Amino acid sequence: MNASRWLVHWRNLRHRTAQTVLAVAAIAVAVALPVVLLSVGGGVYTHELASVQDAGFSISVDAAADHGIAGAHALVHEIDGLAGVAAASPILSVAVEIFPENGSGVPALVEGIIPSAFTATQSSAERSLLPASLTLGDPDDTIHYANGTYDGPSSDQVLLSTPLLQTLNITPGSSVLVSPTANRSAGISVTVVGGFGLPPGLLGPSPLFVALLPLSQLQSLVGLGRSPGGSLLDDADSIQVAVLPSLAGNPAAVARVASAVQALVPYYSVTSLTQQTSEIRAAQAVITGFYVGLSSVGLLVSLLFLVIILMRRVEQERTSIGIQRAIGVPGWRVSRDLVLEAEALTLSGGVAGIAGGVLVISALARWGSPTVSEIASLAVYEPVTLLALLAGLLLMGLLASLLPVRRALRLPLPEVLR
Amino acid sequence: MTPEPTVLLEAVRRVYHSGEADEVRALDGVSLTIDPGEYLSVEGPSGSGKTTLLNLVGLLDVPTEGRILWQGQPVERMGERDRTRLRRTGIGFIFQRFYLLPTLTALENVALPLLARGVAARERDTRARALLGQVGLAGREQSFPHQLSGGEEQRVAIARALANGPRLLLADEPTGELDSTRAAQVLDLLEAAHRETGAAVVVVTHNPIVAARARRHLVMRDGRVVSDTAGG
Repeated sequence: MNASRWLVHWRNLRHRTAQTVLAVAAIAVAVALPVVLLSVGGGVYTHELASVQDAGFSISVDAAADHGIAGAHALVHEIDGLAGVAAASPILSVAVEIFPENGSGVPALVEGIIPSAFTATQSSAERSLLPASLTLGDPDDTIHYANGTYDGPSSDQVLLSTPLLQTLNITPGSSVLVSPTANRSAGISVTVVGGFGLPPGLLGPSPLFVALLPLSQLQSLVGLGRSPGGSLLDDADSIQVAVLPSLAGNPAAVARVASAVQALVPYYSVTSLTQQTSEIRAAQAVITGFYVGLSSVGLLVSLLFLVIILMRRVEQERTSIGIQRAIGVPGWRVSRDLVLEAEALTLSGGVAGIAGGVLVISALARWGSPTVSEIASLAVYEPVTLLALLAGLLLMGLLASLLPVRRALRLPLPEVLR
Repeated sequence: MTPEPTVLLEAVRRVYHSGEADEVRALDGVSLTIDPGEYLSVEGPSGSGKTTLLNLVGLLDVPTEGRILWQGQPVERMGERDRTRLRRTGIGFIFQRFYLLPTLTALENVALPLLARGVAARERDTRARALLGQVGLAGREQSFPHQLSGGEEQRVAIARALANGPRLLLADEPTGELDSTRAAQVLDLLEAAHRETGAAVVVVTHNPIVAARARRHLVMRDGRVVSDTAGG
């Protein structure tokens, strides 16, 4: 096949401009759909996976009920003592109202933490958003907790997220009231010792304002330290467990530590992030399969459209095909020319579709609503996926040309050349 | 020793829609020998079987009954692939409506049979240019059919028919779409090609002037050869 033959194919395609444009457009639309779906879908899952894989902790302990992990301080010490564990950090999340000294309150999510453990179980990215020294006046939350008596002096320090500081229009050093209800008289006065940034979420920054308090102080505030009857509750929502850095990259070692934690707390749910990664991958496979199925419908329709276009082309060019056959052009050469033209149409449509899909995603990322824009900006263009798509299109071109080729080779020459 | 006929037809019948109500006997027991170097005209009214005879002689069609020998080889049971090969190597076609490929230049149209034979690009180009020169179209190599006059198109078609050095040239009303001046030019070219290549020529025509150039004259009626005379 020399350059002049390609030129002839190009002229043939141009000779039927409307058909060529329609066929390319149909294929481009059918290709743009999987490009958008697979690139954006893949990007979202890649982001999710990165979030999980970049977490500073590897194992999560959760209870089904609200604030269902009891005896959190003691349990964390037990988990800390397990082989392979670097740190265990209990988290208690409660919705509160935060009041500045003057003015109305702002709803916020406050997290009760043990500062040193919390820092040790954050990813480097998250740690970079926190102050260099996150102590909240009691790094290990032992002073106020006082072995479960909750009688020790409280540090009365709080850390507020930067958006919350801005909303309350206050600076570090100010005092605020943290109240479990909308009534400021039910609150405790704490000093703001700093601010911290919020990591970007999948759908943009967290819509909730966040604050950090020592775990025991938050427990006392909301009645989750000791019950009214005096019995010890020491509740938390979850415990994040970081394994030793030497084990973090080894799924089997992480699973062994998770098993040890599970043996310690058989009544709680213990999941390793390796499991979560697998679950995300499984979910990604399912949704990718759905996208591929959905895209296949579009591609199948464009395949049928291409067959119709090519059949019509054979009918319109029956004399040209007939004369070629009459002067002895072999059937395989006539077939090859049809297949090449079908491939040229599908590949042109494929390239146009990929370019169109990329443009659509770029437009959504630039001009879409904040949520759509955030999702679109996560799109990942996998070369393997795009090449597989082009390979599928080559196969589609071949399939689309089967019937037209058969028709072309069976044209009755005496009738065609009459 | 008598040279082998280029084409030999023995009691050839060609029936369309055989056994149906609209059965047509296009050829009815035609026997014919076309020797190398003959110049033969086929005349007759419309529907007499001239084009059917040309299609069978040109291996575009197969007979319903009878035998056709192409240079001694029976072709009636040959597959399409073998008949295509014989057409490629031995037969040149000239049609009333020229039938040039519209997306190919004059040069590419002439080179097409050479391409089909697998001739290398450079040689193909040289031979096609020479053939266009022979038919008086030097300088029009890059013209597309729609840029040529009818006479020029037919000259390109003649050059294309000669490209593979055929043993048999078949022309179906080659001047049917041309005025008398251009028709005469085309007939001169056809005659020159016959003289220079030694190929047998079969011309199907209604036109007595065209037929007069031939040395042998067949007249057909109702699918039969009713007259076969030499002269002219």
